Amino acid sequence: MPDPVVLLERMLAIPSLSGQEDALAAYLVQAMEGLGFRARVDEAGNAVGERGEGPIEVVLLGHMDTVPGHIPVRREGVRLYGRGAVDAKGPLANFILAAAAVGLPPGVKLVVVGAVEEEAATSAGARHVLDRYRPAAVIIGEPSGGDRITVGYKGRLLIDYHVSLGAAHSARDEETACERAINYWLWAKGFAEAYGAAETRRFDRVDCALRSMASGSDGLVEWATMGIALRLPLGFPADAFQEAARAAAGTAEVAFRGYEAAYRADKNNPLVRALLAAIRAQGGQPRFTVKTGTSDMNVVGPAWQCPIVAYGPGDSDLDHTPDEHIELDEYRRTITVLTEALRHLVADLAPR
Amino acid sequence: MAKQVECPECGATVELDDDVISGEIVECPDCAVELEVTSVDPLEVELAPEEDEDWGE
Repeated sequence: MPDPVVLLERMLAIPSLSGQEDALAAYLVQAMEGLGFRARVDEAGNAVGERGEGPIEVVLLGHMDTVPGHIPVRREGVRLYGRGAVDAKGPLANFILAAAAVGLPPGVKLVVVGAVEEEAATSAGARHVLDRYRPAAVIIGEPSGGDRITVGYKGRLLIDYHVSLGAAHSARDEETACERAINYWLWAKGFAEAYGAAETRRFDRVDCALRSMASGSDGLVEWATMGIALRLPLGFPADAFQEAARAAAGTAEVAFRGYEAAYRADKNNPLVRALLAAIRAQGGQPRFTVKTGTSDMNVVGPAWQCPIVAYGPGDSDLDHTPDEHIELDEYRRTITVLTEALRHLVADLAPR
Repeated sequence: MAKQVECPECGATVELDDDVISGEIVECPDCAVELEVTSVDPLEVELAPEEDEDWGE
């Protein structure tokens, strides 16, 4: 078994922005083959490693890609820095090492997927494997922290807004393109604040963020654009909202993309029980968490309809930040937790 | 016949199926708190791990 920290360091040293995961995929295939997996890069560019044979599939779905922002890979005491240390090369390295360590009973296949484009709104890697597996249990590789099990993610909808108007003299009493855009933003924000206003948790409300804006004029036409991101609770009526959002835009153009429904997993299943027991066995106090962002759980959870959680080392407060690093003690401990949990799980799921 | 246990949160009687297993998470019908079955013989439950919320990913 390779040194777990060395494996992660090498993964961090290979840049893998969304859409540029080839080099990391090639490295992971080589690493997994060295650990006894049948490994390959699939048609979508995912790095896939399999162990065992049989009808009972357990899928460990992590992702290889990171957001931009180079962070020099370095150890500082008990910390390892690098882009993706937390989100989500640390959890993916965990998957590979734990899956390599666990003994598999006959009839059980363990699959590790390092997916492409989780950080893009496409989730292309996860979508590619949707029809290729029918797992009995799934773990998503995201930073929950070693004692926490993630059981839900909010949904998402992105709005691209564009308005263009005939340029007018600013002394005239007419709404400008910029004013039109700002008024649309205020409508969206007002909608978000009103929806689920009585709910106490952010998980149950709509979050609305203005992600980008720009404006200009060529003297004949003035224009304004905005990118708006909505984070959605369970049961959000996305179709009705899009209808209302189009109506509120008037003559402006709105395009919707990146839609994912919120997903909430069940807690009462062998997968959760295995993780609870394994966390406790390592001296941890397990907790559940729900996330206000999205992950590939939103993509595969509704389709696979099986026990699913997200688990992995790391503090998600460090996701996408210049300070992204992983605590090595926690990283090592979660490998042990995950190995133990998989051992329980595959024994529970094995055909009798 | 269903097994019975007392909810440690509100004291209500919680009925569990005969085939309940250790680690199962059930909900108290009175106070809706989640309970984890920590032992089946004797039957014991504790408050299930808490649930918080976090941002990401």
